[in-house]
Amino acid sequence: MKRKTFIPYLLVSPYVVHFIVFVAFPVIFSIFLTFHDWNIIAPMRYVGLSNYIRLFNDTIFIKSLLNTLIFLAIHIPLQIISALVIAEILNQNIKLRGFFRATFFMPVIVSGVVVTILWQQLYGFETGLLNRVFIQLGFGKVGWLTDPSIAMPSIALMATWKNVGLYIVLFLVGLQTVPAHYYEAADLEGANHFQKFIKITLPLINPTIFMVVILSTIGGFSLFIEPYVMTGGGPLNSTISAMLYIYKQGFFYYHMGYAATLGFFFALLILTVIMIQKRYVEKDR
Amino acid sequence: MRKALFYIILIMISLLFIYPFYWMVIASLTPENELSSLTFLPSYFTLSSYIQMFDKIPIIRSFFNSLFVALSVTTGVLIFGSMVGYALSRLNFKGKKLIFYLIIFTMTLPFQITLIPQYIIIVKFGWVDSYYALIIPYLMNTLAIIMFRQYFKSIPQDLIDAARIDGCSELRIIFRILWPNSIPAIVTIAILTFMATWNEVLWPLIVIRDEHLMTMPQLVTLFAVGGRAESQLGVKLASAVLLALPIIICYLFLQKYFIQSMVSTGLKE
Amino acid sequence: MNINSCLKKIILNKKKIFTLLLIILSTNLSCNFEKKDIPREILYWSSNNNEEISFARFITNEWNKRNLELKVHFQPVPEGQSSEEIILAAVVGKTTPDVYSNMWQGDVETYAQAGVLVALDTLNGFIQFLNERCDSWTVKEVTSKDGHIYQIPWKINPIMMIYNKKILKELGLTSPPQTYSEFLEAAKRFKKDNNNDGYTDQWIGYTEVHTTWWQRLFDFYPLYLAASNGASLIQNDKAVFNNVHALQVFEFLRELYKKEYFPKERISARQDPFLSSTIATRFTGPWEISHAEKFKPTDFEYSFQTMPVPNEHSGPIFTYGDPKNIIVFKSSVDPNKILKFLKYFLSEENDLKLIEMTNQLPRRKNIDKNPVFANYFTKNPLMLRFAHQANYVKGTDVSVILKEVFDIISQEYEACVIYGVKTPKEALKDAERAVNLLFIK
Repeated sequence: MKRKTFIPYLLVSPYVVHFIVFVAFPVIFSIFLTFHDWNIIAPMRYVGLSNYIRLFNDTIFIKSLLNTLIFLAIHIPLQIISALVIAEILNQNIKLRGFFRATFFMPVIVSGVVVTILWQQLYGFETGLLNRVFIQLGFGKVGWLTDPSIAMPSIALMATWKNVGLYIVLFLVGLQTVPAHYYEAADLEGANHFQKFIKITLPLINPTIFMVVILSTIGGFSLFIEPYVMTGGGPLNSTISAMLYIYKQGFFYYHMGYAATLGFFFALLILTVIMIQKRYVEKDR
Repeated sequence: MRKALFYIILIMISLLFIYPFYWMVIASLTPENELSSLTFLPSYFTLSSYIQMFDKIPIIRSFFNSLFVALSVTTGVLIFGSMVGYALSRLNFKGKKLIFYLIIFTMTLPFQITLIPQYIIIVKFGWVDSYYALIIPYLMNTLAIIMFRQYFKSIPQDLIDAARIDGCSELRIIFRILWPNSIPAIVTIAILTFMATWNEVLWPLIVIRDEHLMTMPQLVTLFAVGGRAESQLGVKLASAVLLALPIIICYLFLQKYFIQSMVSTGLKE
Repeated sequence: MNINSCLKKIILNKKKIFTLLLIILSTNLSCNFEKKDIPREILYWSSNNNEEISFARFITNEWNKRNLELKVHFQPVPEGQSSEEIILAAVVGKTTPDVYSNMWQGDVETYAQAGVLVALDTLNGFIQFLNERCDSWTVKEVTSKDGHIYQIPWKINPIMMIYNKKILKELGLTSPPQTYSEFLEAAKRFKKDNNNDGYTDQWIGYTEVHTTWWQRLFDFYPLYLAASNGASLIQNDKAVFNNVHALQVFEFLRELYKKEYFPKERISARQDPFLSSTIATRFTGPWEISHAEKFKPTDFEYSFQTMPVPNEHSGPIFTYGDPKNIIVFKSSVDPNKILKFLKYFLSEENDLKLIEMTNQLPRRKNIDKNPVFANYFTKNPLMLRFAHQANYVKGTDVSVILKEVFDIISQEYEACVIYGVKTPKEALKDAERAVNLLFIK
């Protein structure tokens, strides 16, 4: 019987080592760092709560949180509505469904960097494709990435284009769980397509919607590469995301203590938001 | 009638998805001075954007860096993930619950909290500018462990018992008995891990500064952001095309598996 | 089955996996560790720009021919994002060279205070050597807050205004615009919408609208130094830039953007906008010359002028010099011997080699009057303009948070100058407050 006590520990030991080095220690060290000022090369300096005080007075960080919220507020509804509509159409006994699905899925698998570089060109002010189309249609040029009130929505639109394929497929899976006889019953009562969608489909795929909300929330909170490549956080800090700001503090100015404080606070915020969302889902059931 | 409308809508939407990719590829082959008016085809094709890009950045080297890193991480995740997943699903030992909770804890922990300290660990280990920094922190993946655990649970105990009677070691059981019976799980985990590693940018940006060790997306990112493209759109797009190409080629062949894997993570969360 | 053999098998199997992984890793990693066992000699890093690499190679070869007892091993700084970041990584990873020759002056104080640099003034004969090379204000400029000197001024690239001669003539100007009102007047005449689409498509000038901190080194900062005769931004850990000069610069730049004399959108770079006459002027350094010579269209004429100044300006016109200096790391074994090498490195004949090979100005006093360089300047009259300017350049203030200061200024610059959501007064006040907040803790 001895081997039963020994072997499992051997098997899980790499995980435990990894956990201690790359999870447990970092979490503890991160809390420790929040009370210090350190640029890695000079000695560490204890600064008490001043990192936290600075955080609550840091207008750019607060702005970056608001930006992230703006991003989510545009991205999530846009994503859910477009994914639902497309999934619903695809669910109508369409031929070539596989082809369409694969097409919509393409941006999902491609690196975010590729999508960002591509859209940066499409969004170009002077000769970008979108503005050329707009001029043809008789609208003026739009400062997609240079107008402070449009830049973040532009990024949210691009993110939707990139991710919607995944959510279309998730919704398709959800839609296929709706029993066909529900619709047949509705047909007998003379319900039209829209009514059926609202009355039958929507309530039944509610869990999928919540899942999509949580997934996009997590994704939105780690928004980084898109503003990093496209706008550098500008114009007027309108696209700086919390992640981009943490990166800047940590790996540009080497304020390890302050960056750790921002990361710690931001992580708590993310956890809170996700908890609230999850609780809401559970209550709903 | 309504069907026809649906088809028209679908075709228009798919154009929205295909055309930008088409434009990107064509633009990378267009002479720089025609880019600003390009819609469908340039007056002639040229490879000059690609030639200039190859001249400016070690993109081939970065491709092999990425490939090596992604393959190493995927191999590690499969091996370690199945070992832990097996122990958690099929063996009994003290502390099993604890390990399980640690895994759940790790999964819910936002990476923002560990990013800075992890960088400091890499610095203290002297791993900045080395493959270690890119590979070792990623060798263990909690999602893979959970997926293996789930999948192994569905394999009949008889199979394992029979192997034990034959005198197989536990590792043999995992890799010779369970693996051949878990192909779908392995494919899913491999695709997910490979893709996530291949597309990762933030971590390489932090730990790699030497251009010759950079991963492909990192190099392309810095090329797009930095001054070396001299704000020529063509060369930036050319580097983006090369970055997209490997994954798109894989996708064309393994499309179904890609979609299934991505969906399965979605459903797991 | 017996337990021992079972265990053995596990261990063996595990070993196999690990060795496999290790082999994969080590084959690819081996190249990382090569540089560690270089025999003891001076390790010198230059920048990785091609011209500077050939210069550094030339110098070290010459030195090694004559000094067999003290070899210098030269290596360009490993390529990567920016040399600043690589130096930081090297300090952190304890892989610093002995000498680095391309240190941006604004970064030195950070490393000095972290205690990784040699205080050169403690070396025998250094002060005398420095005083022979540089003016007293340059020496003052590179003196750390603790009174020591951690760097040797090496080279500068002063920022001036390049202008298109033909365009200015067509605009009816007999001399290039020098004051703000002359500049604005020229701008007004040049601004045009060529294809009548309602959007301007030629502008008097252009500066990068990106808020990256160092972009301000090429617009706001040289204009500020010009307006203020070389005043500081930071003094004794306090912001001192909220003054009439900065206000004038902000108002001037705001005017340029408000009236669309400078484009707010990035010019898409089909061609160089200056060489294609899309813009008529630009604030730039000597590097522009070789670029222009290579790519300019036929009968394109250009020259350089001092930075624009307020109308009532008097006295010489200063600018930013973009100084790159030489530092010695504490990890080096014998700094006194290194100083010997550096004296050779910075000798007049090698400074001449530097300017000949790289078209960058050595930072030494009265270079425009020094007969050693006279021949070069006769052959390169445009460089002589920069040499004259070199008598009135300033580098950076001594501060460990200089980048953040520029970043804050850049944020306010964007809000005020580019988007006009703040008045110049508000912007400077906010910048001052934000900078002083950084000094508090």
